Amino acid sequence: MSTTAFNLAPLTTMNYMNKNLHRHCEQHCLLLEISRLLNTGLDMESLSICVRLCEQGINPEALSSVIKELRKASDNLKATENSTN
Amino acid sequence: MAALDQKSPNVLLQSLCCRITGKSEAEVAHQFQYAVRVIGSNYAPTIERDEFLVSEKIKKELMKQRREADAVRFSELHRKLQTQGVLKQKWSILYLLLSLCEDPRKPSSRVGSYGALFAQPLPRDAHSTPFYCARPQSLPLSYPERGVAQNNTSMGTSGISSLGVYTLNGPSPTPQSLLVGHAPSDAMRGSRLAWALPVSASPPGGAAAAPTSRGPTGPLAPAGRVTPRHRREGDGSAEIGEVALVRDILYVFQGIDGKFIKMCSPENCYKIDTKVPLCKSLRDISSRLAELGWLHNKVRKYTDSRSLDRAFGLVGQSFCASLHQELKEYYRLLSVLHSQLQVEDDQGVNLGVDSTLTLRRLLVWTYDPKLRLKTLAALVDFCQGRKGGELASAVHAYGKTGDPNMRALVQHILGLVSHPILNFLYRWIYDGELEDTYHEFFVASDPTVKTDRLWHDKYSLRKSMIPSFITMDQARKVLLIGKSINFLHQVCHDRTSPGKILPASKAADSPKDAAELFTDLEGAFQSKIDAAYFETSKYLLDVLNKNYLLLEHLQAMRRYLLLGQGDFIRHLMDLLKPELARPATTLYQHNLTGILETAVRATNAQFDSPEILKRLDVRLLEVSPGDTGWDVFSLDYHVEGPIATVFTRECMSHYLRVFNFLWRAKRMEYILTDIWKGQMCNAKLLKSMPELSGELHQCHILASEMVHFIHQMQYYITFEVLECSWDELWNKVQQARDLDHIIAAHDVFLDTVIARCLLDTNNRSLLNQLRAIFDQIIEFQTTQDSLYRSALEELQLRLQFEERKRQRQQEGTWGVTAEEEAAENKRIQEFQDFHAKMRSELRILSYSYQGIVQQFLVLLMTSSDESLQFLSFRLDFNEHYKARDPRLRNSLGATRGRRSSNI
Repeated sequence: MSTTAFNLAPLTTMNYMNKNLHRHCEQHCLLLEISRLLNTGLDMESLSICVRLCEQGINPEALSSVIKELRKASDNLKATENSTN
Repeated sequence: MAALDQKSPNVLLQSLCCRITGKSEAEVAHQFQYAVRVIGSNYAPTIERDEFLVSEKIKKELMKQRREADAVRFSELHRKLQTQGVLKQKWSILYLLLSLCEDPRKPSSRVGSYGALFAQPLPRDAHSTPFYCARPQSLPLSYPERGVAQNNTSMGTSGISSLGVYTLNGPSPTPQSLLVGHAPSDAMRGSRLAWALPVSASPPGGAAAAPTSRGPTGPLAPAGRVTPRHRREGDGSAEIGEVALVRDILYVFQGIDGKFIKMCSPENCYKIDTKVPLCKSLRDISSRLAELGWLHNKVRKYTDSRSLDRAFGLVGQSFCASLHQELKEYYRLLSVLHSQLQVEDDQGVNLGVDSTLTLRRLLVWTYDPKLRLKTLAALVDFCQGRKGGELASAVHAYGKTGDPNMRALVQHILGLVSHPILNFLYRWIYDGELEDTYHEFFVASDPTVKTDRLWHDKYSLRKSMIPSFITMDQARKVLLIGKSINFLHQVCHDRTSPGKILPASKAADSPKDAAELFTDLEGAFQSKIDAAYFETSKYLLDVLNKNYLLLEHLQAMRRYLLLGQGDFIRHLMDLLKPELARPATTLYQHNLTGILETAVRATNAQFDSPEILKRLDVRLLEVSPGDTGWDVFSLDYHVEGPIATVFTRECMSHYLRVFNFLWRAKRMEYILTDIWKGQMCNAKLLKSMPELSGELHQCHILASEMVHFIHQMQYYITFEVLECSWDELWNKVQQARDLDHIIAAHDVFLDTVIARCLLDTNNRSLLNQLRAIFDQIIEFQTTQDSLYRSALEELQLRLQFEERKRQRQQEGTWGVTAEEEAAENKRIQEFQDFHAKMRSELRILSYSYQGIVQQFLVLLMTSSDESLQFLSFRLDFNEHYKARDPRLRNSLGATRGRRSSNI
């Protein structure tokens, strides 16, 4: 089940992009532009997930801290993998 | 689209985790758990939800980075975004982007510094908290909202942030100083914590989370290094080492299941896994140590379940807080133990046998904490289901122990628990305010009671809520003090600030003071209450006497309603006599009021203060057919405002009854005076009618009998009833220390007067007899009046006859003609017939009167009241009635015989 969820993630994003109305697409581009301006390091898909989470009323403070932590965690994992290798 | 938007945040989060770390879902399970917890616990944002503010912040940030062009570009983009209007939470997204913003000129801080530290905990945590590997999807995101405890300086959960605060302000920095070598920032440690703590161990209460999460900080830091050895011990050797057991025990101390020692839910106790090979002594000691965990859980469960219960009240909350305080101390001990363990781990086990942490050492060190926890657990058991003052009583009951340590502990808790009660109490006795939302205080207020019954009915004592360290007497005084203040404010409209009433300082007492006060009951607390009681009551009485003339009104009652002002009453009766002789239905209130005013002006009553005179009024009672004015007339005295608290409606009705009785007795006196006047005036005139002398004599005898009776009755009423009780009342009122004393004295006074005036139910038969006597007197008056009238008429006619005779004789004719003489004789004959009738009427009257008096005397003799017995002696002082009535002879003889034998 977990693997299907994983595979679904990009697929749903694509669906989202394809099915979207022109307005949604434009909005997305705007947000992506802002994101790039601010150098947040979010790619389009992460951004769209974040947007949806925010729309559901999740606390952005918490979300940002989660993202930061996740990045650190993945960096660290990579670093350890590199060192063990 | 719609389906996507409705996706649960959990699913979205999970895909975000995968996306950012670039791992598969299974690999990011822990990160996902973490994310869920952080987001779930930070449900309410601490920032303002204002899109404009956020966009301004972003612009500032860009300016700070010296990217003016980008700032312009951003505002353009933002404007465009605003025109779109599809997103509802634009501020949120913008805020997210802002907080993720990084300065491109600085080197990326993402990689590096934390790397080593961050990598280590993960495998260990995965192993020590297997719970996490369960169902990620099923974890709840909806934590209760708690904006209060949040601290947005650190990024973690509220538990972590408050931990940060705690360690900064915490009373004992020991664990930190031990950790200093490799301790990362608080925030960093916090984030690791959040990974490590099981959900079950982090309670929803923000503050409650602090102590728990504090515990594991010690052993976690070196966890990475320890774990391998651990595992080796667990898997490799057949027997687990003591070190592993100690580590387990330390977890159990916090109520967390260890690796070997686990909570056994059906038996509700900690048990060592039976499969684990372990020698018996170690198993035994571990079991004994595990009790601490069980006790901790018990206390913890109580505080957790109660601290969110709003209806539990302030006293309950402070009880929970004091339990928390004790638990905090306990956690501090645990953290010291943890840090000790960690030092050992750092330096290896070769430190020497002296300083290692063994189970036996733990047993010794935790001896005292165990006793404390035991007391707490017992307290928790005992306090189950109690609240408010009852709870304080329960705690107080536990303070009666011989163990000084336990007593100190319970005293400390009692101090905290009684603090809110003391606060209520001081608010109440100094300000008269009762802010007791949860009905915890022992003074209850009934909001439905109107101000006119405020003193009597509004406030009452809640018996169950009186803490056992406050005596009933004190509680009553406390009730009275607050009641007096409220009475002053609401009824007397006295706006003097309570500070003026009480010069004594009303310093806000700290809990410590509270504890001292309750231990030293005879001293400070008592004197404080006494002082407040004394001052407030005195002030209240002063206000009532000076501004509301309470004592003057009391005297006015005595003078007017209890006929103390003799000249006024006499004059009033003189003036009213013609009015009242008429049937009751023809009376008009305004006529009577006019007469009353005339009487006031003509007598000494005019010198009374107008405040009193304007309250004096006439009242007509309910008219029943056949009543004369005498039956329905009554004086009245209007009372309202504060004095109506003393002169209540019931009191006034008592006064009216007494007035009616006295008025009737007074009227008898008045009638008898009239009778006597008639006798004196007519005695000489009727001497010329010798045939009447017999009747007149009879009349005189009966009248003097009646006069004697009424005089004695009046004497009794005036001196033995009214004056005695009045003197008693006056003394009591002068000495009264609070309004209740006055009210009580007044009630006693009225009750006595009512009883002595034969108006209560016990003396109903006596009163009936007395009424019958009064009726006889009135009847006698009418009989005698008609007797005199006819006699005078007859006399007049005879005189006329004689006169005519003489005139004719002077003229030289015959004095009387035969027919004239016949007519004269016939008239005399008629008169004598009538006369005989009158005589028999008189005889009957006198006979029945004496019968009633004898009956009355018999009843008086058998009465239990001594003063009534004395009245009977006085009425029959020459044993006139005794000689006539055998019943009296027996009873009177018996008592007199006994009395003479006593002498």
